[in-house]
Amino acid sequence: MKTLIRQIKALVRLSFMELWRRNDVLALVILALALMVPLSLSSPFGAAGASRYLDEAALLLIWAFSLFISLGTGARLFPPEFESRTIYPLLAKPISRGALLAGKYLGAVAASASALAIFYLLFVGCSLLRGGSLSMEVLQGFVFHLAFVALAVALALAGSLVVTPSANLTLSATALTAMFFFGRRLPDYADAVSAPLSWLVRLAYALGPHVEFFDMRQRLIHGWGGVDAVVFAAVLAYAVAYAGVCLVFAWLILKRKRF
Amino acid sequence: MRIEHVSRSFGGVSAVADLTLALGRGEIMGFLGANGAGKTTTIKMIIGLVRPSSGCISVLGGDPADSAVRAKIGYMPEIAYYYPYLNARELLSFYGGLCGMDGRTVRARAGELLETVGLADAAKRPLKTYSKGMLQRAGIAQALLNDPDLLVLDEPFTGLDPLARIHFRDLMRRLREQGKTIFFSSHELGETELLCDTVAIMKGGRAVYQGPVRQLAGNGERNLERLFLDVLSKGGAA
Repeated sequence: MKTLIRQIKALVRLSFMELWRRNDVLALVILALALMVPLSLSSPFGAAGASRYLDEAALLLIWAFSLFISLGTGARLFPPEFESRTIYPLLAKPISRGALLAGKYLGAVAASASALAIFYLLFVGCSLLRGGSLSMEVLQGFVFHLAFVALAVALALAGSLVVTPSANLTLSATALTAMFFFGRRLPDYADAVSAPLSWLVRLAYALGPHVEFFDMRQRLIHGWGGVDAVVFAAVLAYAVAYAGVCLVFAWLILKRKRF
Repeated sequence: MRIEHVSRSFGGVSAVADLTLALGRGEIMGFLGANGAGKTTTIKMIIGLVRPSSGCISVLGGDPADSAVRAKIGYMPEIAYYYPYLNARELLSFYGGLCGMDGRTVRARAGELLETVGLADAAKRPLKTYSKGMLQRAGIAQALLNDPDLLVLDEPFTGLDPLARIHFRDLMRRLREQGKTIFFSSHELGETELLCDTVAIMKGGRAVYQGPVRQLAGNGERNLERLFLDVLSKGGAA
């Protein structure tokens, strides 16, 4: 058990180092700073309710950045190991493929979560600058967003073992973005069209990653309050289950993969 | 290390056929052959990355697919472009963690190994600034990190300058004196002849020669290069 913990710790540390030493995440943090701070200090058109639009813009920015970071991190867990041939010394060490997958996944989630935490701190800071207050709903929104990151990393990780890195990024980003914007409208659309298109839409709804479950933006912007405990637990359970299915799939592929 | 009647094929293409090799404790064996002769597949089977289609491989008394056996094996690939954002000390710390070593032991061992492979002065430089030879030395250090009983090296001389080659040979001899077993593949016949106790020559997935090197030395006519050419042209035992 001690050996397994040390192995996982080493892999998590590696993911952190990779994410924070690559300049693209730092660039995103600087970009977020450059966009969010001036916005929070401005009062567009002197409108009293403009604060809501600024919150909406900031949260949409955070969602876009978190999608970019979690997909990028998840998709980069294995392909560079194959290309640079470091997979050989890695697998020659006394580590099982399951532990390798678990360590890499946890590392990617933890590293992406650290970047997400910085974005939320910026958001809260900007909100406070405009005279807003810190609410528990923001914390709930952050936890939901973390669950989304865990799901997105698992999806990209599973995809990285099946298709090429560019195809994986394209497919994962398309699926997640489409569900984010249109997920909640799919059942209505399925009712409005005839078979067999309606079957396909229902299948997409059943299999697709329901990113919209984790989206608390409207609640935060309009002050509608948080979701109740049962819904909160159900959404987290959905994220765990979806990520779990992706990881089991990835493990089955990795276990059989020839190097 | 014992390899008995091992075969491995990929989708109907035979990579290794009926290979039998034996290597005793404290011996150095050079594994030779042209490209595509089956050397890398054999090495992958020895370190447990690939399972044989048939036959049996026993390493240090166990199955290399078993983690406990792999904990006693050190492996260096031909050329690996190790994580460019790490420095050599961090690289060894990472691999030490994978071997289940505690932080203090890894730090002590890493310092010692970086000194041994001549990377102590460059230990804090990112690996992306390393030359091919320096990456190769970092690879040797990671292979030695867990103080392995069996060292498996794939083309260890690649990228090493003459001085580094001499140091590498000295290091391998010191390890042999400590009772370590070393198995390496190479295209460098001169280096192999200087270093090895025995050689195995592969052709078309089969071992066409296995025997000692010492009897070849000083013959004048029958050095390893001549033997290699003879064996490959005849395709049978020399």
